[in-house]
Amino acid sequence: MKKIKIKVDGLNFYYHQKRVLKDLKAELEENLITVISGPSGEGKTTFLMSLNRIYESIPQSRMDGKIMMKFGGGYVDIHSLSPSSLRKKVGMVFQYPNPLPMSIFKNVAFPLKLSGIKDKSYVAGRVEEVLKDAFLWDEVKDRLMDSALKLSGGQQQRLCISRAMIMQPEVMLLDEPTSSLDKDAADKIEKLLLNFKGRCTFVIVSHDGDLIGRIADRVLTLKGGKF
Amino acid sequence: MSRFMEYGVTLFAWVSGLILVSTIGSLLTFLLYKGIPALSLPLIFGETGPIDGLLLRKEVFDGLFPAIVGTLLLVIISVIWAIPIGVAGGIYLAEYCKLEWKSFFNFFLDVLAGIPSILVGLFGFTVSIFLHKHLSREVYPCLLISSLALACLVLPYIIRTTEQALRDLPFSIKTTGLVLGSSKLQNILFILIPYSFSRIISGIILAIGRCAEDTAVIMLTGVVAMAGIPSTLFSQYEALPFYIYYISSDFGSQEELMTGYGASLILLFICTFLFTLARILKKKVAIRFANLI
Repeated sequence: MKKIKIKVDGLNFYYHQKRVLKDLKAELEENLITVISGPSGEGKTTFLMSLNRIYESIPQSRMDGKIMMKFGGGYVDIHSLSPSSLRKKVGMVFQYPNPLPMSIFKNVAFPLKLSGIKDKSYVAGRVEEVLKDAFLWDEVKDRLMDSALKLSGGQQQRLCISRAMIMQPEVMLLDEPTSSLDKDAADKIEKLLLNFKGRCTFVIVSHDGDLIGRIADRVLTLKGGKF
Repeated sequence: MSRFMEYGVTLFAWVSGLILVSTIGSLLTFLLYKGIPALSLPLIFGETGPIDGLLLRKEVFDGLFPAIVGTLLLVIISVIWAIPIGVAGGIYLAEYCKLEWKSFFNFFLDVLAGIPSILVGLFGFTVSIFLHKHLSREVYPCLLISSLALACLVLPYIIRTTEQALRDLPFSIKTTGLVLGSSKLQNILFILIPYSFSRIISGIILAIGRCAEDTAVIMLTGVVAMAGIPSTLFSQYEALPFYIYYISSDFGSQEELMTGYGASLILLFICTFLFTLARILKKKVAIRFANLI
């Protein structure tokens, strides 16, 4: 029997007066990789942004409809949670890597510090764990205190995914995570995603047909504001 | 675009740049040429010994030392009032203000930025009279009133630069903290301000320059020709811009006019010193921000 993690019902999304998503309905399965594809400008990123309510940072944008997520056994309307507690459960990585201007270690540990976790050995252990999961540990273990801005684009993107994964989110949203990278770097991201597969529900926006074929459990095509 | 236009625009850009550099160059050369011969310890300390003057053991009556101290105090105190309010105002406009209120605040900010400084001075003067009548007979135009009036004058610069700096950050940077579960305040403190710190400091540097050079505001709010070093915020004070204005409009001899050039050069040094200090702070604080987390 299918285990549904995210239920979207009657989702409409507006920028100013423009309706981008139209009465969208979808059910996304738990711990699988769902890829959202479709032509540019159809609202794929908007759909991702509505799942963690980050659209609320965009002036004059609004949504109506219902998004329910299964947390702790029951379904919860995402608007009943505070934005910060929702986003601790629903991580997100953008198309272009956005490491903070601080060391590699501090970047990855940043979400733990935000949550007030001060146990140094726990933090160090978690940082090592996620960096190993992202196949980045061997590349950076000797320079953890170097600025994250010195890493290559692909390494920065893996660092951003590690940073998002350190809070052990139940849902991970990735917006075209490989589109700004060369083939080698993109392959490493793919390997990383397969490594994380099964640990949380991935919703990925991608145009890369080959990548979709290799990693997706399910593909949803967004066209004309509808799946 | 035709080749002729391409060359024309490039040439115009070069000539404009050259005019800018040569104007600043000529101004500095003129000031150095006229000011350097006037610079001397007696110009600053008069007949008082420099050590005695610096350690405030003896008052300096016929030198620029009280005006230098007055200018420094005025700039520092004005900026101390203006920075927290200006930065907080900029953060409010960029991050918290509802769209329908934004145009309302922007209108008032534009009005404040466009008010001639003499009117700000007049307002400060009126406030001091009001306080004198209704609060205490001891309140007169003074350093406090001048610094508050100057803070009003430079607030729009700081608010606008802060707002613009925060607003210009790319969406993915702006929301870095938010998508990781930070609160709005944590995101502002740990992400937005460190990222836009350098531009915020640029606004503060502009404000410092404006505070140091403005004469109209202080003329009506507390500066006098002879006051010595102010002992409290409620004291009258001397300031270099006022001295330069006073000497250049009412000099009795060529020697007296030369002291005006000397004072201008010293004012320029003070501004350079404050700008350099602000830039050093910019680097130091940026590093501290990076290590904050």
